[in-house]
Amino acid sequence: MEAIAVARPEGEASTAAPERVKLLLVDDDPDNLLALEAVLEPLRQDLLLARSGEDALRLCLDHDFAAILLDVRMPDMDGFETAALIRSRRKSRHTPILFLTAYRSDEQLFRGYDLGAVDFLFKPIVPEILQSKVAVFVELSRNEQLLRRQAEELTRVEQRFRAVLEAAPDAMTITNNAVIELANSRADALFGYSREALIGRDIRELIPDWEAAPAGAPDPGVTEERLRAVRSDGTSFPAQITRSPFRSAGAWLITTAIRDATGQVEAETRIRKINAELERRVAERTAALTYSNDALRQFAWAASHDLQEPIRTVLSYSQWLASSGAEAGGDRRDRMLGVIQDHASRLYQLLGALRQYLQVSESGAVDAARASRTLVDVNAVLTQVTANLQTLIAESGAKLEWDGLPTILGTEILLVQVFQNLIANGIKHRSDRPPVIRVQAEISDGAWIFSVQDNGAGIDPKYFEYVFGVFRRLNRGGGAGMGLAICKAVVERLGGRIWVESSGLGAGSTFRFSVPQRVE
Amino acid sequence: MKNHSVRIFLAEDNAADVWLIEEAIRRQSIAFEIDNYTTAADAIEAVVRCGTGESPVPDLILLDYNLPSGHGGDILEAAAENSHISNVPKAILTSFLQPSESKKALELGAACVITKPASLDEFMSEVGGKVAKLLRGDGCAGPR
Repeated sequence: MEAIAVARPEGEASTAAPERVKLLLVDDDPDNLLALEAVLEPLRQDLLLARSGEDALRLCLDHDFAAILLDVRMPDMDGFETAALIRSRRKSRHTPILFLTAYRSDEQLFRGYDLGAVDFLFKPIVPEILQSKVAVFVELSRNEQLLRRQAEELTRVEQRFRAVLEAAPDAMTITNNAVIELANSRADALFGYSREALIGRDIRELIPDWEAAPAGAPDPGVTEERLRAVRSDGTSFPAQITRSPFRSAGAWLITTAIRDATGQVEAETRIRKINAELERRVAERTAALTYSNDALRQFAWAASHDLQEPIRTVLSYSQWLASSGAEAGGDRRDRMLGVIQDHASRLYQLLGALRQYLQVSESGAVDAARASRTLVDVNAVLTQVTANLQTLIAESGAKLEWDGLPTILGTEILLVQVFQNLIANGIKHRSDRPPVIRVQAEISDGAWIFSVQDNGAGIDPKYFEYVFGVFRRLNRGGGAGMGLAICKAVVERLGGRIWVESSGLGAGSTFRFSVPQRVE
Repeated sequence: MKNHSVRIFLAEDNAADVWLIEEAIRRQSIAFEIDNYTTAADAIEAVVRCGTGESPVPDLILLDYNLPSGHGGDILEAAAENSHISNVPKAILTSFLQPSESKKALELGAACVITKPASLDEFMSEVGGKVAKLLRGDGCAGPR
């Protein structure tokens, strides 16, 4: 119990000089009293004198005596009567009485012992015998006082200890071999038992996974752990258990603080959830950045390659033209010049497509597109596209069909761009049949899904992803290979996605893209 | 040098490059015929038929890397399936390749990657020289 400091009371027996005890000497003869006093003086105790039974009784009211020496023969009230009255009082019931008498009579002895005498001393008094007998009672009294004081101190310590236990913020128990010996009221409340029901109970009924320290084990020290605790009604809760063992009378007693950890567990769960969410977001963001970096790198390679090609051709052919000189025929020179012109214009066309792509895929365009979202009538968008593609439609004899398209939240200029690219794509990749392009819309999961269906050449499923890359062509048309890459960039700017479906070559293709209608 | 005219399988979508390649081989005094395919899809379709009776086994397979509908690596993969042409030298022709693409092409069975230089003289000696070496069965490693 080293945790509980106890202030030692003043005059603690083990350190201070032995306290003097009181002895009462009763005799009607002053000379006898004087003689007794002289004999007992060397014991250095407090001696109180009485000349009669009445005086003795009076002194017994006010003082506790280690022993009373009582003359048997006294006038008025004799020693036996006085002893009977002393005995009858609660305060002095156990005070040892030694009778002093001149007569050795059995009758007197029996009467004296009946009245609680502890001894008889016969006159004339032998000083050594008197001293040694009284010294025994002095010692007895001292020991009794010491015991009483120690008992009081123990009571005080235990009271303090219980007060500490009660004042503790946690439920607390002290167990001996897993049996609860002490508990505080917080323990009663936490587990829903009365104090009586708790004391003597096996703590494993409250904490099933409790592991008792094996007897004779070395000090396991203070341990802290999270265990499941069970209330009297059978419900359970997570508990923070702090165990502090101490050795007492050869056994390990364990002081245990038990705290309901439900709130803590909930907080931990919440923090774990928040951390997981944060990690997920970081991972997502990292993946997006990585994707965007990879896409950018691929784009840079593709762009540098496709832009270098026409320049290389122009350079080679201009050198060839210069070095071929007069020996080359006019046709040959015209053909070389034609190649140079073709590739110079192709470079110009590529750069234009690239600029357009960069405009829609620039991050600044994202905010601009989001900010400028308004209600757009898609029917009007298609009317605009038809006007823009007038020449291509007329030359190919294409038919555009749409009906009852919705008014959606979007950016008109971007929608025109997507529909125009998809429809032009459908017309360019036509089969032998005259092209028919059908535009439809349906709402699904909070987004408009638009489809642009053609009856053209169709696309092999292995190119479904490929066609949306930059500078990607499926045949030797004059295109820059940027149309679908631009559509993809625009649709992604509008928060949607784009994909293509086709039953294969010759079966036509259907391009679909989504435009979310939730405002972020 | 072989006496008969050699047959070259060429996947190349840029007509200007086809003309330059023809000029380079001509300057090596090699008699040749070219089967030219202008998309990866067409070239794949053709390469699997080589030596099957529908079309002859070529003496050399030259593949541009960046083509409509795919790239030279796709054609090499298809060619690897055709045992009739397993001994025919194959080379990738390109203005440049990413290192990873170059490595992949060699793994897929290309004898080498021939770059298309911007200078006409270099184009003639690089492409012409390597084509001649490949046709002699010398591979195309080392200086041209």
